[in-house]
Amino acid sequence: MIWVSWRQHRSQALGCLAVLASLAVYAIMVGSSMRTAFGQDGLAACLAGSKGAVACPNAVSAFTNEFGSEVNIAFWSVALIVPGLIGVLVGAPLIARELEYGTWRLAWSQSVPRARWLAVKLALVTGGLIIVGAVMTAVITWYRAPMDRLTGHFQHNIYDFEGLVPTAYILCAFGFAVLAGLLIRRSIPAMIAAFIPWLAIRLIIEFMLRPHFLAPLSLTCGPHNCSGSNGGYGISAIPPATGHIGDWVLGQTGSGFLYQPADRFWIFQSIEAGTFVALTAAALGTAIWLLHRRTA
Amino acid sequence: MTQHDPGSDGPALRTDRLGRRYGRAWALRDCTLEVPAGAVAGLVGPNGAGKTTLLEMIIGLLRPTEGEVSVFGETSRARHVTTLAQVGYVAQDHPLYRDFSVADMYHLGAAMNPGWDGKLATARMDALGIPLKRKVKQLSGGQRAQVSLTMALAKRAPLLVLDEPVSSLDPIARQEFMREVMAAAADSGLTVIVSSHVVAELERLCDWLVVLAGGHVQLAGPTDDLMAAHCLLTVPRAARDAELPGRVIHRSDSDRHSAVLIRTDPARLRAEARAGWHVDPVGFEQLVLAYLQRSPSAATAEELVTSKAVTR
Repeated sequence: MIWVSWRQHRSQALGCLAVLASLAVYAIMVGSSMRTAFGQDGLAACLAGSKGAVACPNAVSAFTNEFGSEVNIAFWSVALIVPGLIGVLVGAPLIARELEYGTWRLAWSQSVPRARWLAVKLALVTGGLIIVGAVMTAVITWYRAPMDRLTGHFQHNIYDFEGLVPTAYILCAFGFAVLAGLLIRRSIPAMIAAFIPWLAIRLIIEFMLRPHFLAPLSLTCGPHNCSGSNGGYGISAIPPATGHIGDWVLGQTGSGFLYQPADRFWIFQSIEAGTFVALTAAALGTAIWLLHRRTA
Repeated sequence: MTQHDPGSDGPALRTDRLGRRYGRAWALRDCTLEVPAGAVAGLVGPNGAGKTTLLEMIIGLLRPTEGEVSVFGETSRARHVTTLAQVGYVAQDHPLYRDFSVADMYHLGAAMNPGWDGKLATARMDALGIPLKRKVKQLSGGQRAQVSLTMALAKRAPLLVLDEPVSSLDPIARQEFMREVMAAAADSGLTVIVSSHVVAELERLCDWLVVLAGGHVQLAGPTDDLMAAHCLLTVPRAARDAELPGRVIHRSDSDRHSAVLIRTDPARLRAEARAGWHVDPVGFEQLVLAYLQRSPSAATAEELVTSKAVTR
């Protein structure tokens, strides 16, 4: 079954490899010059000082002017949907193509019961996608490392590409697409039917639920704090209003700010990734159960 | 007169009041059958008669709505793994993975079947002149059919189920394919169940016959016994059905005479025969078509491909 799964999915695996390779080439090209600039502008030394980024606004703005667009635009607008696309492209044909071309009669009349056939394939393909997600995350994290020292990685559009969540996004889209493929029995409609709820859940969680995973802290401004930027986030707020790099400022209150402290990053990543993995497990479990139930 | 040995260990296939419903429509209902081990059973019926539904329930691809199937004494429903290993299946239109090579298909067969006979697969491809490296999409229809058949045979399953195996093939490939099936069946003592809507194709091949129409079994049994139990009687048109010595299956009236296909036993026919009656043995196609025409969905019998007319 391992060979069968590999043979059926090897072109997808090569496709993923090509995407990762081109991402790596881009990341190495831009990332290396970003690293060089980070050293030359004296940013590293400045950040190590007691006042941090506040002490050297010129160096910060020179650096962000040069690299801000690469980091913020090139990645977040397109890359927001990339995990979803990978997931549905791999997941939708997994069962739907067998149903479309009639090869289910061949695949399910061999000596392997179909529920086991599906379970083994899902385990192997999921493993492959975890590797793809992990490599993609590692490349982006390496690439962004100098920028992360200025902005942290808790804000929108940065948080979504680091840590655990990118892989979890891929898996969730994959799980939805496998189930949609079984129910709709056609690959392309299944891709669409899986992608739309994936995107909806992804955005609802990011903008409505994520800020409240844990109760935000509030900061009351006095003469010695609130030294940072008053608005915006990411590169337009270095350092953020709390004065501490990596804090995620949610909004202003009468006398201060509501924020999520930087050290909650991994807790938030775990909560969000856990939610998406649970959705994946539910979708894949339903698919196996439905396939098994047809015969008993 | 049949090839199978009636003393062997029970039937290869038994179905008991088997039925399958799609939504509110029954594709097959009340199907009770037995096919003995070693038989070559022909399953005949027009398109939509429920043939594929029956075959898919036999191999466990489809779950019955009611009733039971058992293969070599094991209930398909309860012991799915056992059933799968005991049935070699050639599906309609011979589905194969288009981007696989022939060798890849056999690699898949070996990976998914514990009893896989790789030597048999390569020997058959050598004999047929099909290169193992060729991609499935480059094969002709006849070659694809042979690859599918080889997949089913190399599984070394004692029951071979073929669903409309030759309907997509040209006449020469049809003959070649059925010859291969019969040779393999004879070599390894397989039980074969083959469905077709082409009646002529199954004549001379099957020693067991099942006629299916409108989701019901119309006729089933050893071919020779069924042929012996029916005859074609030409009687004056005035003769009523009730006067005839047997059950009237099909009657067609002309100006002065009627051609009647009846089910009777020969002794009774001899005893009750009257002057002016003419008795002919029944042909295989005549027999099958007569049963199809008497089914509730008689109209669909016209879909059957015939080489000659039913009645003279």
